[in-house]
Parts: sequence; C-alpha cells; structure tokens
Amino acid sequence: MWLDQSKDQLNLRLTIGCSLSGKWILHWGVSYVGDTGSEWDQPPKDMWPHGSIPINDYAIETPFKKPSKDDIFHEVKIDFNPSSAIEAIDFVLKDEETGASYQHKGRDFRVSLVNYLGDDGNMIQAKSSFGKWPDAVEQLPNMVLNVEASCASKNENRRLEGFYEEQPIVKEVSVGNMVNVAIRKFPDAANIVLHLETDIPGDVVVHWGVCRDDAKTWEIPAVPYPPETVVFRNKALRTLLQPTGNGSRAFFTLDEKLDGFLFVLKLDDNSWVNFQGNDFYIPLSSARSVQGQSNSESEETSGKAHADGIINEIRNLISGLNSEKSLQTKVKEAKESILNEIEKLAAEAYSIFRSSTPSYPEEDSDADDAEPTINISSGTGSGFEILCQVFNWESNKSGRWYMELKEKASEISSLGFTVIWLPPPTESVSPEGYMPKDLYNLNSRYGTIDELKDLVKSLHGVGLKVLGDVVLNHRCAHYQNQNGVWNIFGGRLNWDDRAVVGDDPHFQGRGNKSSGDNFHAAPNIDHSQDFARKDLIEWLCWLREEIGYDGCRLDFVRGFWGGYVKDHLDASEPYFAVGEYWDSLSYTYGEMDHNQDAHRQRIVDWINATNGTAGAFDVTTKGILHSALERREYWRLSDQKGKPPGVVGWWPSCAVTFIENHDTGSTQGHWRFPGGKEMQGYAYILTHPGTPAVFYDHIVSHHRSEIGALISLRNRNKIHCRSIVEIVKAEGDVYAATIDDRVAMKIGPGYYEPPSGPQIWSLALEGYDYKVWEASS
Amino acid sequence: MEVSVIRSCSQATNPKTELGFKDSRFSFGKFNEKLFFRKPNSVSFQSPLRRGKSGLRITAQAAQSDPLPKSKSSTKSKTLNRVRLFAGLPLDVVSGGTVNQFRAISAGLKALKLLGLEGVELPIWWGVVEHESMGKYDWSGYLTIAEMVRKAGLKLHVTLCFHASSQPKIPLPEWVLDIGKTKSNIFFKDRAGKPYRGCLSLAVDELAVLNGKTPMQVYQDFCESFKSAFSAFIGSTITGITMGLGPDGELRYPSHRGFAKSDTVPGAGEFQCYDKNMLHLLKQHAEACGKPKWGLGGPHDAPAYSELPTANTFFKDHGGSWESPYGDFFLSWYSSQLIAHGDRLLSLASSVFSDSAVNIFGKVPLMHSWHGTRSHPSELTAGFYNTATRKGYEEVAEMFARNSCKIILPGMDQSDKYQHKESLSSPESLLAEIGTACNKHGVGISGQNSTVGAPDGLKQIKKNMLSENLNDSFIFQRIGAQFFAPEHFPLFIEFVRKLNQPELHSGNLPTKEGTTTATDSVHTRSNLSIHMQSA
Repeated sequence: MWLDQSKDQLNLRLTIGCSLSGKWILHWGVSYVGDTGSEWDQPPKDMWPHGSIPINDYAIETPFKKPSKDDIFHEVKIDFNPSSAIEAIDFVLKDEETGASYQHKGRDFRVSLVNYLGDDGNMIQAKSSFGKWPDAVEQLPNMVLNVEASCASKNENRRLEGFYEEQPIVKEVSVGNMVNVAIRKFPDAANIVLHLETDIPGDVVVHWGVCRDDAKTWEIPAVPYPPETVVFRNKALRTLLQPTGNGSRAFFTLDEKLDGFLFVLKLDDNSWVNFQGNDFYIPLSSARSVQGQSNSESEETSGKAHADGIINEIRNLISGLNSEKSLQTKVKEAKESILNEIEKLAAEAYSIFRSSTPSYPEEDSDADDAEPTINISSGTGSGFEILCQVFNWESNKSGRWYMELKEKASEISSLGFTVIWLPPPTESVSPEGYMPKDLYNLNSRYGTIDELKDLVKSLHGVGLKVLGDVVLNHRCAHYQNQNGVWNIFGGRLNWDDRAVVGDDPHFQGRGNKSSGDNFHAAPNIDHSQDFARKDLIEWLCWLREEIGYDGCRLDFVRGFWGGYVKDHLDASEPYFAVGEYWDSLSYTYGEMDHNQDAHRQRIVDWINATNGTAGAFDVTTKGILHSALERREYWRLSDQKGKPPGVVGWWPSCAVTFIENHDTGSTQGHWRFPGGKEMQGYAYILTHPGTPAVFYDHIVSHHRSEIGALISLRNRNKIHCRSIVEIVKAEGDVYAATIDDRVAMKIGPGYYEPPSGPQIWSLALEGYDYKVWEASS
Repeated sequence: MEVSVIRSCSQATNPKTELGFKDSRFSFGKFNEKLFFRKPNSVSFQSPLRRGKSGLRITAQAAQSDPLPKSKSSTKSKTLNRVRLFAGLPLDVVSGGTVNQFRAISAGLKALKLLGLEGVELPIWWGVVEHESMGKYDWSGYLTIAEMVRKAGLKLHVTLCFHASSQPKIPLPEWVLDIGKTKSNIFFKDRAGKPYRGCLSLAVDELAVLNGKTPMQVYQDFCESFKSAFSAFIGSTITGITMGLGPDGELRYPSHRGFAKSDTVPGAGEFQCYDKNMLHLLKQHAEACGKPKWGLGGPHDAPAYSELPTANTFFKDHGGSWESPYGDFFLSWYSSQLIAHGDRLLSLASSVFSDSAVNIFGKVPLMHSWHGTRSHPSELTAGFYNTATRKGYEEVAEMFARNSCKIILPGMDQSDKYQHKESLSSPESLLAEIGTACNKHGVGISGQNSTVGAPDGLKQIKKNMLSENLNDSFIFQRIGAQFFAPEHFPLFIEFVRKLNQPELHSGNLPTKEGTTTATDSVHTRSNLSIHMQSA
C-alpha cells in the first residue's frame, strides 16, 4: 500500500498499519538472533519511535498515529539497523479504549527480519506483494503489515525480502448509532413531512407504520410513500433508506390527522434495531399544534434514539504467504507472564480486602463482651474523620501562620474535627507554597521548620491528626540548562532534566511522556523515573518522621498516574491521604448535566489506580450542590439509582466531601460555592457519608457555631464514611434524606418533615433552608 | 481461511483458554468481546477426553495421554489431579442484596482462574436471603456472584447455610429470631438451659414452629426457590450444592460454644439435649425402652464445656458411664437423632435437586480432640457414637450413601504433630477412620481446611489429597485479605503448582507447525492439554 523510504540507506523501516478505527497501541518487543527462549527483549532505544513508553523491561508501547488527518490508516514506523542482531519483531495490538489485545492466531504477531539469505549480493529491492484475495464476505479495511527494505551495500549476503502482509482482525464492537427523526409541518399544507436519518452503515430498511390512537396499533397509511417502499404483509411498509454521506435517510409524507409514526430498523435478516424492546414511536400531534402560525418556519420535534445495535465488524482475511511464521514455543514466557498477572491480581484483591476488613458494628446479644471496637471499612483514616483545612489563600501573608494556628489548636479540636490539613510546607516560588523548589527546605512563608514541628506537636497534643499538603506533580528548578530553560534542580534532590517529563516543550525535559495532565507553570516531575520516585518516597517518609505528619493532601494528582501515588503511600504508610483530582463536570449548552457519572468515574478511576490507598476530594458533589442550590434543582442530588450523585454515592469510604477550598473560594474564587447557601452545603456533607472537610474561612465566619453543631451531631450519631443514606425526597425545591436511620435532614426551601415511623424524630438543628432531626430512642 | 466471531467466551471451551492467556499478559480488561481467529484445522477437537469427567478435571491426564492415550486410570495409584480444587468466597461476600468488595472478588476470580482452579465455593445464607419475612427471598447479590463466576469461566459450589455465623456476624433470619424470643425451645439448649441461636434444634424439624410451618418445610421452600432462581446456573456453572446440616453447617450438635482458644486444651464439650423438645423425645424413647427414669435428662456426670473429660466420671477411660448400659442407651439415642436429622435434610436436598446435574454434599465435622482416649468425648458430645469399641461413622456414611450424597470433611490441614499433647488429639487417624467408612459405602469425599488454619497446613492438605481420604474435590477456605496476603498467597501458588507437578515435567512438549502452543505451568487445565494435541 504505502511504501516509505527509510531515511538513510543503512536503516530499514518497518511500517505497521491498521485500518480499524479507534485508538490503537502497538505493544512490541524484539528477539535477537540466537535467542533460544521466546521471551521478548526491549528494543534498543534508538529504535523507539516517538512517544513510546517502556513496559516492564521486555516491551515498549507505541501509539499508532495517523500519517495525515484524513487518513483512515493508523501506523507505526519502526526504523532499525539491519546489522543489529535483531531477528524478529514481535507485537500485539492493543485497543487503548478497551485495553483488549489482539494477537495473531492466538500468539503474537512476529515479523522475521533475517529469514532470507540471498544467493548473491543482489542490491535490488525485492518486493513481493499479493493482491487482495477475492473476498467473499465484503470489502472492509484490512490490516496491513508492510516491510520495506533497502539493503545496505555492505551486507552482501543478506537480502531481506520485503514483504507485504495483511492480517485479518475481527473486532466485535458495541457501537452507539443515532437515529434522528425530525418532523416538519408546513402551515399551508395538510401534510407532515417526517425526516428520518441514521448513521448506521450499510443498507437500512425502515419497517414502519402509523397509528391513530394511543394504543399504537400499526396500520398502513395512504400513499404517497417514499421511493423504495414495499408493503409488508398488509401490516407495515418497508422503505430502504437512501444513502447520504455518512448514513442514510428518507422523507415520509404523512397525513396530519395521524397520531403517531411507528418504526423499527432492519439491518439484515437477523438484525433489528428497536427502542428498548419496543417500537420507536414518534408522536405527530405536537406538529399539529403549530397549525395556524403565520410564520413559515416549521416546528421540529426531534426524537433521538440510541440504536445500541451490536454491529459486528468483520474484518476479512487476506493473508500473505510470503513469510512463514516461525513457530516457537513460548512456554516460559507465558508461564511467567501469567504468574505475574496472578500476582498482580492477588495484590489488587489483597489491598481491597485488607482496606475493608469487615465491620461488625453489632455484637452478639449473648456475649458479655465489653464495648465493641467499631471498624468501619474506610478507605483512609478511621472512617469517622472530619477534616479542617486551616488556611486560605492569604494565610502566608502574616509570615507566622504556624504560630497563629498553634494558639487555635485546642479551639479547633473542640469543634469536633479529627484531622487538620496544613498548608504546603516547602520552600516555594509562590508564597502560597504550591510551587515547591527545595523539598527539604521547610522554611516557608507560613513559618520555620521548627515552628511547624512545634505546631504539629501541639495539634497532636489535642488529639488531632495532621496532614501535610504535598506537591508531587511539579517542582521549580534552581538552574537553567544550556538553552536558558529552568529545568535543573538543586538542593538535596539535585535532579537534572531527566526528572522532567518529556512532553512539555516549555521545560525541555528528557524524561518520559507524562503519565497524566501537565501543569504548565512549572516543570512536571517524571514519576516513571526510578530515581525520582525513590527520592520522593524518601521525602514523604522523612516528612512523616521528621515533622510528624500523619498523612498528606496531594496536590494536582491529575498530573501523574495514580499507581505512583500508591507506591508513595504504600511506602510512607500515611494514616490518612487525600488527593486533589479536579476537572470539569459535564455540561450541555451551559447547563450542568444531571448525570455526572463520567465525572465521578474519573475520580473513582484515580482512587482505583491508587488501589484505594488514598481518598479523593469529591469535586462531583460540590459541583452538583452548586447547581442544585443555585438553581433550586434539588432533584440533582439523587442519581438515577436513587443514591447520592457524587463520588460519595459510589465510593463513600474514599470520598472527601467539601464545599470550598483555597482555590475555589478564598480570595481566588475560582469556583465559589453559591453565596449564602454554605450552610445548606454543610448540612449536606456533614450529615452524609464520606469524609467531610470544612474550610477555614467558614469556621472563622458567622457560620462557625452552626458548623460546630452539625459536627457534634455527626459525632454524636456516629455517622461515618460508610453510613447508609436513604434519599427520601429530591425535588425542585427540597432534598431530604435519612442517614443510618438515626438522622434525618432536609435542605432547600421546600417542605419536609420526617414521618413518624419506628423512630420518633426530634428537631436537632435548624437554619436557613435546612433542618436536621435526630431519632430519639 | 475462516473467521470465527466469538461473542462470549463462555460458550466454547477452547476460546476460554486462549482468551485467558491473552488476557494474562496484558490488560485483563474483559473476557469477552475479543477478536479471535484461527485456522480451521486447529479448531477441531477430536479428543475423547473432553467428554466424561476425567477429561474435564485435570490436565496431567490429558497431557499424558497426548502422544498415546494410555489409560492410567486403571492403575491403583492415585494422582493428585483427580481432585478438583475450589476456593471459598468470603462468608460475607453478599449482604443486603449487594456484593461486597466487588472489585476484589472479580480480581480474585481472575487470579484463581489463571491459577487453574476448578471453581469457587459460595456460602448462601438463610439469614441473608430470607432475612425479612418467611417466604420472601432476595437472591440478587448471589445471582450477581454466580454470573461473575460463570463469566470468569469457573465452577460454583454452593453452600446453603441454614445456620448463623458469628464472625462475620450473619445471624439467622430476623423473623426466626423473633419467634425464638418467645419460643426459645426452637433452639438447642445445654444443661444450664442456655439456648444456642446459631441454628434450630433438630428436635423441631418436624414441628410447625415457624408461623405454622415446620423448619423442614421452610428449608424445602428455600431450596426450591434457590433452584428456580439459579436454574440457569444449576448443572452448568453450579456443579455442587452443600446442604447445611447444623452448627457451622456441620452435622453435629453445638457441643462446643464460643471460640476455642488455640492455646488452651479444648474441653470435652457438652451434650445438647435440654431443650423442651429434645427432652420430650428422650422421654418417649426411654419409656419405649422400658427405662422411664433414664429419660429425665442428660448424663448427670458429664463435665462442662471447657472442663477436661477427666473432670467427671462419664468419659473415664475405664469404668466411665459411657460404657454402662445407660451410657449406651443415651449415646445411641443422641447419635441416632443426629443421623435422622441429617437423613431428613439430605433426602430433602436429593429430592429437590434430583433432576439437576449437581452433586449434593453434607459436611461432617472432624472432632479430633480426645480422639486418643477410649471414649472420644468430643465426638460423643457432638453426636457421633464413635469410641474405641464402636465404629460410629459407619452409620453416618451409610446415611450419606443412602441419599447419594458426598461428604465434606474439614480439617484436612490438621496434622497430629501440631496438636496439644494433653488433648490426645489425632486429626489424622480420625480422618482415616471416617475415610475408611466412606470408602466402604462408596461415599465421595471432598476436603476442606479448618478455618483456624494450621502450621504446615498446605503440606498436610497435599498429603491428604494423595491419600484415600480425598477423592472428589478440595475446597480451600477462604478468600480474603489473609488469603491474598503476601505471606500466604505465594505459598498457595506454590501449593497449586506442586499439585500439578506431573504436568510441569512434561513441559518440553512437542511442538508441531501450526500448533498453538501457548501454555504455561499454572494453566494446566484440560482445555489446554487438548489444545496442544489439536494440531
């Protein structure tokens, strides 16, 4: 198909292309001449195409790229030196979205590079290619494997026969297709024109009829019918849709007196598309109502239907016969990779089981044992934690924040908090501390290292746990490189530019591609470097030992893979850890979507990657509270399954709920909680499962006593991160829930009183648009 | 050339293997929706081994018979591979209709599948399913598990638990406990009159004490509801069902209450014949025997739970009451009540599942403390009239054989050398004794390890798997944090690999062109072996 010339005559270029849609990754390795085993070796670095990342020590992964935008082919080009002892390149394809890998006949694809010894030093490029085999099925894109060789003059005996091979792939995909139906009513006509369009490929037949009442009885309408229409058994009509650019469509002219248009789609004899088991039904009456409008514009009702048809894209088979696969047993490799996999799975299972040792809140009534120790299966902390963020964006201004806090220690403790989140302690380019430079220099604008130790000690003294705010994503450099770019570090961790990710052009790092999003204001640390990881782990352990931190709040964890966080936390064993994974919720036309599952899924995915070693701020809940409170859309506080819609509804033991922090509020106000409704927010998070976090500004405001009352109610009723919440009401102007059958709450201006049932409810707290009740036993 | 589209890997045997393997190196993402193709000639299996149980079981047989189908089964020597290995799921894997630690379970299932286990054991609790009110069943969480297991390509052994668990705490159904509040005689009682709320007394089996129904009827309804709820799985995914028979699911009286402390010498236990209904039965029996005075209560000279057998005269090695005519009268009655109870439940299960392709199991405890004495006090109080002079397990095995049920024996990890010397305990000889009785009556034996664990347990299990004591399957108890812990799991892997040792030796398999020889040590299932000879 496409024959690229290698850049210089000494090198060969292997091009592997794939014509299937989707994001593909080439997972590959090489075998050297004389290797007897079947294990892969990592290719030499000079073979790595741009963007490759190493996988363990035996493979690398290279994403497929499109040569040009319009190309349907994705390809990876690998240049290699034929004089190197590489015998073969082995690879499998991975689908980035599903993670599935594709092999050839149950084994890896293998491209032999030194198979052929020519008789003479023939310099002529030998290329044998095979035309497409006559294809009985249908013409569909092929996988093309293409090796082009131009032999170097020095290697007289070796002739690498270029070959061209197409490999078949069968991929079963669940495709979301759309069917759009638009109805147009022209005021001066007695007819309705219905336009049906779909992006389902291939021939699509609409099997349709109309109905005159709600019973949706099918009948055949009067003519005219669209072209290509046949009557099917006097019951329905079948119309073949006319192909358009990327789908097919038809126009139906219908009598305006009809009530509805019914249809299903027929793809072939065995494949039908319907609407959740029923016929698609398009009401036509709405179009009628616009009759009489003088305007010539048409009313349009649009019924969108998701045709979740499973389409099997069968990619056909054309297999070149040029290179016989040399078959080798892969016994050992397979053994080891399976063992590795088993160990990995076991480790995953272990970490989850361990972190959620079952809880036995009730004790046997027969037993005369003492008070049981309640073990809530919390992701982090005891499960009964309440956080307080004790700084805001201005706290660095005084220069003695640590000392000021020390004076307030017992006061904070008396409010009922259990965990204190302190500001970032390191030397920083910005006064707030989020641009750290020398990680071991803990003299900051908040105070000196000794003051910090002193503060931590006093906080411990009043029974509080202390979190340090640590920035692992980025670090500011001390020195410039030869290009004048700041990417050389000093201090105790005097890393060079290998510690900086390679895909941020601002900082010219020599490290690997970032494993997450880049923070563009400072060099992002390449966590895939062993030395950087080791140093950071050492630092975290040092913070724990030297300062006495019990845990940490992790800044900007979107910037790197959660698995690294797991490594860090496994090594430093914090009592409590929480990560800031903050990205945008989903909006459609400026309005927040009700369903924020995708958003919370991203946070859950991150927690998952940390193996549940850290909690995460429940940004989803904050966002939904914004809309619910601001727009009086309290129904948003219940998801489709009647559970809380934020992370707390899915993984409460790892959700740290909050309504404001130093970024969203304070003097920055990047995403401020709706003014005047803070107490509703707190009434929600402080009565609900998850681990609530309270922001400093609010405890020094007039809300203080109300927050204190909510906290003591939470503690008194032993509400914990996995308490059971039952949503009783989620309507426009009111949301109400009961928690653990001990606490009932409502927020919003609407009316709600808990019904008297087995419990007798007494009003415990009341404020502006919120009420909380406790069950009296 | 041929293309095959496999929608779901569970429909064919071979794809499973290959997908499993494929997954193993990479993502472990999904077990279905994979692409897949092969030459037609490698698809055709002509192996007779795929049919019949032996082929389905283990690899080595299949592998050995690869070049020449030798029938090794005719020889007497047993191979380890005859025993199918299961692992038990956590006791509280389902609560309130939901699956706990879903991700851990699903990762665990994949690991076990890769390790080559046959399947998993799932405890289904009466107190979870029929928790709220009589006849109202919630199978949802368990159905989810069954589906997960099916998708993972594993088999399922279901244990129907009509008892309570103390840790994790899974009580009997609430409505049963409510009834028990006013009618405490539905529970077993000890001499002090203290009820045991872990299961119902066998004396009420046929009494209409549960809202007008007898416990037997309630158990039957439960089993039938289970059968219809899991009809899609029974016989395919579900290959075995254990019927709960008493405390901890075992056929016994709750003669030991509370947790045995491992560092103290266990006591003899107490007879549990003091609830009103048991006493009534005893009285009737005594009158029928013409000894009405013997029917007024249990033995007066038996020691208390934690007392040594020698603390009183009933169990004395020589001249103890157990050897007296009264002792024989009482012990015969006491043990026959237990066997009759087991008979009722197992025949119930056998009839409910008679038309299903599943094996029915019942669990018999290994009361090995004091086995070295003549009177075997622990066995006697638990309801097994087995002494130095009487082979008590014969009747038990005979009862199992009558109902075509297999027996589950726990404690396969216990070895004599780690027992308290003072307790004269001998798990090994007791096991052998029960094993002999079972073999005599043709009752299949499935093994389990004890929940408390034992030093060198895996070694002992392996030893038992080689012996006559075990011939059906082994259920390793149980998945959880400890199971997957770094200090345990590698040992378990090693254990499983060792079981498949013969397979490892045949590692240098002949490879022919066109043969797909993706294989691995732990992957030693029959599927694969067949796979290899498919060229």
